Amino acid sequence: MQPEEANKFSMHNKTGVGGQVPGAGKAGVGSQVPGAGKGPSSPTPGTRHLTPDPAPGTRHLTPDPVGYLMVLPYLLHLVVFVGYPLAFAFVLIFHRWNIYTPMKWVGLGNIKLLLTDQLIWRALFNTLYFLLIHIPLQLIIALGLAQLLNQKIRGRTFFRASYFMPVVVSGVVVTILWQQLYATETGLINVLLHRFGLPGIEWLGDPRYAMPAIAIMATWKNVGLYVVLFLVGLQAIPADLYEAAELDGASAWQKFRLITVPMLNPTIMLVLVLSTIGGFSLFIEPYVMTGGGPANSTLSGILYLYKQAFFFSKMGYATTIGFFWAMIIFMVVLLQRRFVETEAL
Amino acid sequence: MSARPLQRVGIALLLALVVSCMSSNPAKLTGPSGKITLTYWSATNAQELEFANQMAAEWNSQHTEVQIKVEPVPSGQSTEEVILAAIASNTTPDIYASVFPGAMQDLLDARGVIQLDEYPDFFNVMHERMPPELLEQYRSFDEHYYQVPWKSNPVMVIYNTRMLREAGVISLPTTYSEFLAAAARVTRDRNGDGRIDQWMATIDYFPIWYKRLFDYYPLYLAATNGQKLLDNRRVMFDNEHSIAVFRFLHECFARGYIPRQLFQGDAFLDGRVAAKFTGPYSISHLERYRPADFEYSFGPVPHPDSIAGQTTSYADPKSIIIFKTCTHPREAWEFIKFVISRQNDLQLLELTSQLPIRAGLLDDQAFADYFKRNPRMVQFAEQVTTARSIDSVAELKEIFDSIAQEVESSVVFDLKSPEQAVHDAARRSQQILDAQ
Repeated sequence: MQPEEANKFSMHNKTGVGGQVPGAGKAGVGSQVPGAGKGPSSPTPGTRHLTPDPAPGTRHLTPDPVGYLMVLPYLLHLVVFVGYPLAFAFVLIFHRWNIYTPMKWVGLGNIKLLLTDQLIWRALFNTLYFLLIHIPLQLIIALGLAQLLNQKIRGRTFFRASYFMPVVVSGVVVTILWQQLYATETGLINVLLHRFGLPGIEWLGDPRYAMPAIAIMATWKNVGLYVVLFLVGLQAIPADLYEAAELDGASAWQKFRLITVPMLNPTIMLVLVLSTIGGFSLFIEPYVMTGGGPANSTLSGILYLYKQAFFFSKMGYATTIGFFWAMIIFMVVLLQRRFVETEAL
Repeated sequence: MSARPLQRVGIALLLALVVSCMSSNPAKLTGPSGKITLTYWSATNAQELEFANQMAAEWNSQHTEVQIKVEPVPSGQSTEEVILAAIASNTTPDIYASVFPGAMQDLLDARGVIQLDEYPDFFNVMHERMPPELLEQYRSFDEHYYQVPWKSNPVMVIYNTRMLREAGVISLPTTYSEFLAAAARVTRDRNGDGRIDQWMATIDYFPIWYKRLFDYYPLYLAATNGQKLLDNRRVMFDNEHSIAVFRFLHECFARGYIPRQLFQGDAFLDGRVAAKFTGPYSISHLERYRPADFEYSFGPVPHPDSIAGQTTSYADPKSIIIFKTCTHPREAWEFIKFVISRQNDLQLLELTSQLPIRAGLLDDQAFADYFKRNPRMVQFAEQVTTARSIDSVAELKEIFDSIAQEVESSVVFDLKSPEQAVHDAARRSQQILDAQ
């Protein structure tokens, strides 16, 4: 709220000033009498904005139609691409619709189906399993790499750039690359395992390993982004804290545990929230790699939604899943904020 | 997430646009000379197109006032979607000849097709071709007929008889235990490297709904002697027959007779597997690509040991429909009668190796010469009147998807018992049916 108010304030102020300049100029060039007559009245709106209002509740801002015109593109975008689809999706929850035939009212049918649908719970379980592997792995690797890249080492920029590369590369490309790596007979990973005398793993063909395989890949793809975030966090930690600790004889581990980690808490929170949301919107990886299989072991919520919408043309049920999923993400993030953020304070 | 419906609408509109560009609207109107032109969409494979073109040319030479224009059905993600998009955008042709009967309910819901039993001679024409009980499989929920059952590709099991013989199997298996006994002999390590390199059969177990039309469904029909999966929107397949089918497949996978791997290329043609589910279309494929010493034969879909005698299978039928947009449905109906005439049925066999759904093919003098020249087609012809169609509900895909999911988790990955898997598939299917 606050910054918006400030924006409006400065905008009005500017237009007030802008309006005044030509008026003043004219007054100067032309006859002085109308200029003088205008003089006292025209600055008033400007000054009214400039002086801080004693009682903010009673302040009256004159609505400027130009302002509405200027936010119109955004409003249009909001209505057409967010508001309308959202409202439409909500209506769809109560209908059966395959696009081609008229919508059919089904009441709470979709919701009932959702509550008894084992696959949505399976998708939820899969997502949590994914997060359980992905988040710790992500945090540890990203923080470790950030710590390393924060030192003065040779080729630091090169490493920073190369860890960030997978973030920029298209998810489909990364997925197809990893599909080759994970291939049972010819994949590089299994070839290496065989070389060390270990048995190969059916990475994507075995329901036990498919999800961990995807979690490892997702970590590899996203870790660069989190390295950058942690780097920013690390550089924001005042150096004198470490100096003071060193004077007190703290070991490197103590410095890391007692200064770095607590000071990075906001970043950790951000990484946690971002990877949780990322985990809940997992789609490309299972879609390209496994199609949700084997035996639904990599079925994600969004993939399930996609299948309902695009394989079975059940738009109503797909939007029901969408709303349900959004609700879960919202709750999980809320919980994370409550537990992780307050702990540090 | 919320943008998906919009995106979907976009795709639908795009599809509709494509379809409307490809179909020729003016063709539906009477031409300047008072001639009527009807547009006929054919399946896109070369043989069927050739059949359609030849047939249309003959009709056109005999009927100057009603001309037929053949077009291949526009390609899309699935033919069904293309047809539905065409209905939604009013760009349907007059006649379409390759409808999957399982999709009829969707077409009816979209109000895209005309009722055919309104024509006074409908039943006469149909009953001349097939017995009433066979026709009834194609009746809609409202007790009316909207499709003409046209052709079929009954599912059977093809065997590499040479591989069977080398393994000491003399006669083709017909029951589960015969199949498993044969499989035990055939599945082995041929080159002695300690790894199995020859298997009894292969199944594409990837859980895509329609793939179960060619393994689970024919096995179920064989085990139940042709029972339906649904009865008036009630799931009927939660029974011991389904469990028997799951158990049989489970055993094949558990013992490694059907490998848990998907082959690249045609493993049957390469001689790596000795059997697979297929239809008559594989004859022309094999005749073209098989090595000189490759021997094969077709056998019935295996059935439980407790059943004796002739069993049934899945017909994989296709039907002909007339769209609502057709401005001359009577002429279209006359043309359909021409399509399913004896002479064109023979032509269909000759050109496409697909079977007309016509009773008594083997006793009919008109076809005698064909079956003499193509003895392998005799077995398929025997199935034409006994093989079954498919239930038509809008949720059919999802029901088969439920079955496919359970086949994968129980049969392939052994994550649950066949009993539990059948029960779960049935329960999920019923929930989907009830949700509407």
